[in-house]
Amino acid sequence: MPVLFEAPPTKKQSSKKGKPPVKIVSTVKLNTTPLTAYLMHPNDIRFETQDPDEEVILFMRQHIIVLIPKLIIGIIVFFAPLILFPILIRFLQSPVEIPGGYVIVGTVFWYLATFGFFLSMFMQWYFNIFIVTNHRIIDIDFLFFLYKKFGEAKIEKIQDISFRTGGITATVFNYGDVIIQTAGELPNLIFEKVPRPSEVVHILSDLTEDHKETGDV
Amino acid sequence: MTPDNVGYLAWMGMKLMALVGLGIYIVFAFVIVRQEQLMSKVLEAQSEKILSVLSWIHLGVSVVVFFLALLIL
Repeated sequence: MPVLFEAPPTKKQSSKKGKPPVKIVSTVKLNTTPLTAYLMHPNDIRFETQDPDEEVILFMRQHIIVLIPKLIIGIIVFFAPLILFPILIRFLQSPVEIPGGYVIVGTVFWYLATFGFFLSMFMQWYFNIFIVTNHRIIDIDFLFFLYKKFGEAKIEKIQDISFRTGGITATVFNYGDVIIQTAGELPNLIFEKVPRPSEVVHILSDLTEDHKETGDV
Repeated sequence: MTPDNVGYLAWMGMKLMALVGLGIYIVFAFVIVRQEQLMSKVLEAQSEKILSVLSWIHLGVSVVVFFLALLIL
């Protein structure tokens, strides 16, 4: 039988300002890798204060591109003993001959310290995380060793969400800051240099709207 | 005091400074391990095992370098 009338899409299904709606509820769950900076519905992520009925919707870190300047410094430091030191020794021409033991220990320590520099920089990036759940948004900052900051805001406390992006790299690689203004005395949360900031704002807007309509997602 | 003795004392001073520096570095490496353990409690993810292994290797190698310096310097 031919279809005489097809019902138009409902308000929920229709796109908002020409953009497709963000699918918050998904059955596809993926595992994170050490370099994951943006993942919806991660399968293997749990955090310290997570409630049993709380589901992680979005997991983010700063865009991987923020590690590039540190990587360049690390590469320069790595190759310095091979290129820079022979030149320095030749020009300085010290009358004191450096014993072989010092050269060996010095070289090994140089590469160890370079590795330590890489490791600490990577850990600082790795543990600087932003999580969006069906109940709240969480910002965990790992500022330096032995200092961490844990900030959270309930979904119902979110008042305004915006993002800012600027600069060549941010435009090319599509990252920026997501600013979340919260009600009352709570401090605002800023997700710094996260990938796809417009998509994050879209997801958070949908979450807050759904929360207002239903009281929960 | 002969010049040989002065040279010996200077190198001993250098060795002592190198050992103190490497000792401080071991503390730094231990702090990285401890911090990784603490942060792993905040965030549980499968990929953290790699970081844990790397931080322990870093601590192990720094201890090895300390004893290497103790023996050959």
